[in-house]
Amino acid sequence: MKTLVGKFESFTDLEQYRSALKDRAAGVDCVIRVCCGPGCIPKGASKVYEAFRQAAEEADDKTVSVVPKLTGCQGLCECGPIVTLDPGGIFYQHVQEGDVAEIWRESVLGSGVVDRLLHHDEKTGQAARTTEGVPFYQGHQRIALALCGVIDARSIDDYIAAGGYQALAKALGSMKPEEVLDEVYRSGLRGRGGGGFLTGRKWRSAREAHGEPKFVIANGDEGDPGAFMDRALMEGAPHAVIEGMIIGGYAIGSSNGYIYVRDEYPIAVQRLRDAVAKAREMGLLGENILGSGFSFDIRISRGGGAFVCGESTALMASLEGRVGEPRAKYVHTVEFGFRNKPSLLNNVETWANVPAIIGRGADWFAGIGTAKSKGTKVFSLVGKVKNTGLVEVPMGMTLRQIIYQIGGGIRGDRPFKAVQTGGPSGGCIPAAYLDEAVDFDRLTELGSMMGSGGMIVMDEDTCMVNIARYFLRFLKEESCGKCTPCREGIAQMLHILDEIVGGRGTSGDLERLQELAVLLEDTALCALGKTAANPVLSTVRYFRDEYQEHIENHRCPAKECRGLFRYQIDAAACTGCGVCRKKCPVEAITGKKKEPHLIDADKCTNCGTCFDVCRFAAVKKV
Amino acid sequence: MPTVTIDNQAFAAEVDETILQVAARNGVWIPTLCYHAALEPYASCRLCMVEIDRGGWWQMVTACNYPVRRDVTVRVESERAIRARRGVMRLLLARAPESPELRALASRLGVTQTDFPTVTEAEGNCILCGLCVRACEERIGTAAISLTGRGVERKVSAPFGEPSEECILCGSCAAVCPVGTIRLEVHGDEWELVPFGKKGPAQRCAACGAVLTAELVREALARRGPAAVQGILAGEELCARCKRKKLVGQLLAAGGSGAPSAPSER
Ligand SMILES: Cc1cc2nc3c(=O)[nH]c(=O)nc-3n(C[C@H](O)[C@H](O)[C@H](O)COP(=O)(O)O)c2cc1C
Ligand code: SF4
Repeated sequence: MKTLVGKFESFTDLEQYRSALKDRAAGVDCVIRVCCGPGCIPKGASKVYEAFRQAAEEADDKTVSVVPKLTGCQGLCECGPIVTLDPGGIFYQHVQEGDVAEIWRESVLGSGVVDRLLHHDEKTGQAARTTEGVPFYQGHQRIALALCGVIDARSIDDYIAAGGYQALAKALGSMKPEEVLDEVYRSGLRGRGGGGFLTGRKWRSAREAHGEPKFVIANGDEGDPGAFMDRALMEGAPHAVIEGMIIGGYAIGSSNGYIYVRDEYPIAVQRLRDAVAKAREMGLLGENILGSGFSFDIRISRGGGAFVCGESTALMASLEGRVGEPRAKYVHTVEFGFRNKPSLLNNVETWANVPAIIGRGADWFAGIGTAKSKGTKVFSLVGKVKNTGLVEVPMGMTLRQIIYQIGGGIRGDRPFKAVQTGGPSGGCIPAAYLDEAVDFDRLTELGSMMGSGGMIVMDEDTCMVNIARYFLRFLKEESCGKCTPCREGIAQMLHILDEIVGGRGTSGDLERLQELAVLLEDTALCALGKTAANPVLSTVRYFRDEYQEHIENHRCPAKECRGLFRYQIDAAACTGCGVCRKKCPVEAITGKKKEPHLIDADKCTNCGTCFDVCRFAAVKKV
Repeated sequence: MPTVTIDNQAFAAEVDETILQVAARNGVWIPTLCYHAALEPYASCRLCMVEIDRGGWWQMVTACNYPVRRDVTVRVESERAIRARRGVMRLLLARAPESPELRALASRLGVTQTDFPTVTEAEGNCILCGLCVRACEERIGTAAISLTGRGVERKVSAPFGEPSEECILCGSCAAVCPVGTIRLEVHGDEWELVPFGKKGPAQRCAACGAVLTAELVREALARRGPAAVQGILAGEELCARCKRKKLVGQLLAAGGSGAPSAPSER
């Protein structure tokens, strides 16, 4: 094949290189994709990949050509490590290092499958050979993550072979900057980082802003607890972000890009660094890209290590090397941003949508989704759901579809209670709204928000007061402390919640919480403080009774708040084994051997030891 | 020239003036804590909240840093703005209930007490307005103190909690502190910046012995002050009274007629 010497100097160079790569791929007998995404790595995926790599190396007798690929997240984290094989699209789950030899024998050399590693239907027990038979994968539509989990995450060749940088060539070669801008505008793409601001409009403001140089920045700070959408994307398809940014730079007239990556994401930092270096080496970044005359380069910056650093002004302060604290400004960062110059900041997922929009057109993109929310959204589905994982679905899919069809429903088939969306400043949506379509505006109307795409599913054992408290505590710790309402107001709200879950709530607490919520929204300096009360507001809105039970009757209906429920021994289930009696630290349990035991409510301190030690589930929370 | 209409009164303004500047110039009082005319607006205390008309909706903004770019209609005394300012004040009072300065400002705002418990700890009533840090950095060009810690842990401190090497005992931080947390105390010939623990000798008037400034300030001025200042410093250092006395004496000796017009203070 034509090996690349030096840089691509023209669009033709790129296309020739691409077709050479495709020819080479045609000679491959088997491709093994080992998911090394955020969910699979901790479960031993790296060893699995290494074993496949070695096997391929050792088997290099030219009778079979096998290419093992280390990929980004393939989605179904719950069942990781995931391995998929082509041809045939065989889908294996829970693969361990020790399974590699068998897979090699059966599916690489032979044409069989290893049944025990296939996905089996929960009810029928039927095995699925490919993802088509796995409910989790039904209804997905991958645009931002199109190549994540498919290509080798470290390989620019893989990205190019799969059509990468084609959109860039199209933009630079056949479109004027205004046309690119127009395309993004018409696509209806809205920012995936939280606010849902119309991307095309932001780009236009950046293009029209006065001041040189202009900056293009990708926000990869992802600080929401439990979220890993952006991480998966940066690790699994770094070039999609890079390509989007180059196109953005061309559209607004900027040659300087920065990617701000959360400090706790070392793999993402490494992948992006390598990807940028490779793209530069091949002439896709740097001077005179593809001979177009347009120049653009990207630097990678490691985040300041705080949640608030993801906020636009704090991010730019941090990029400048100052403390990552929001600045009070009424002039937008597209006019006065990084180094006081016009700066276009978009979330990494927003950027990753851009190549597809330019490549396939605004109309195609606008045809997906709902009236005002176009395209798809990546969610990280976690909590009490059977299939946790990374999901990319068209806007407008219902919560029920996401949670029950893709997520497989609630663990242990318990009743669903609520889903928390939008990250720490999002809200909790109850069962009554499961059939609502998920889009920016609808989630906001429901008192929650899209945020960056976190989705935490909760069952009946979750106390909603406690959940609100959990998020508020997170925000209290992450507030930068600069402005009075956020620093003092969140602490006040948290104090009230602490009292409520401690059984010391008083009438008027809900009103005080609501008053503080309004105060925060009206007076806080940045969006962290302005929206900090959301978790409280949305739970008060939908679960007021639960708050009242805590406050008025000192009872926690979900039986989660210690002290607000009691332990009782179910005489029918108790075998009289005596373990609880022996373990109880305050000797509150009495009973004869082989006879039902009894808890003395006056002595009991609600420590829960008996509940934990009983092997017959005879200790109940009441 | 844009017009700023505040509670139905129209005032002419310059482009990029802030709402607070326009209000102050025209005698409209908007409470502030973290604002100082000599420093960049910081907008952290959130006490200067006012409403502005955004055509169909009213936005809450901080007057201290909202730049006037075109005509703008402002409500200072609206129910929402008053509630917001009082709310912020109640939170501050809960933090530093002992501060007489804060209580005085609060009562001017119509807040006589706070219903919030004290849930955050304020060292010496510090309300974290940041004026001290900014005065030191922006005006003196020294970063002897800084804001450290996040959220409720935030506090003003010298590096490593030790008396700062950089501090010249100029006392600017103490001068701008609105609640008296920072004080420059004089113990005989020694000055101390409380609570940072920085100490240094005082410089006295060569004639009468009155305390002039800290030695360190004199040194710093000699080091980085403009040439004119250095010239003055090179001479004998006198307090204002002694300087006047000396000047009058010189004039009389030169046969001048009567006292000269009062020299301005230094
Ligand atoms: C406290 C706080 C944290 C944020 N964190 C992130 C983040 O981690 N990633 C992100 O893309 N946007 C984050 N944002 C939103 C950004 O300020 C900004 O709106 C966004 O990056 C713009 O990109 P978009 O238009 O593509 O969504 C955060 C906002 C706030 C107030
Ligand atoms: S709202 Fe919170 S995070 Fe934002 S500036 Fe104020 S204190 Fe800092």
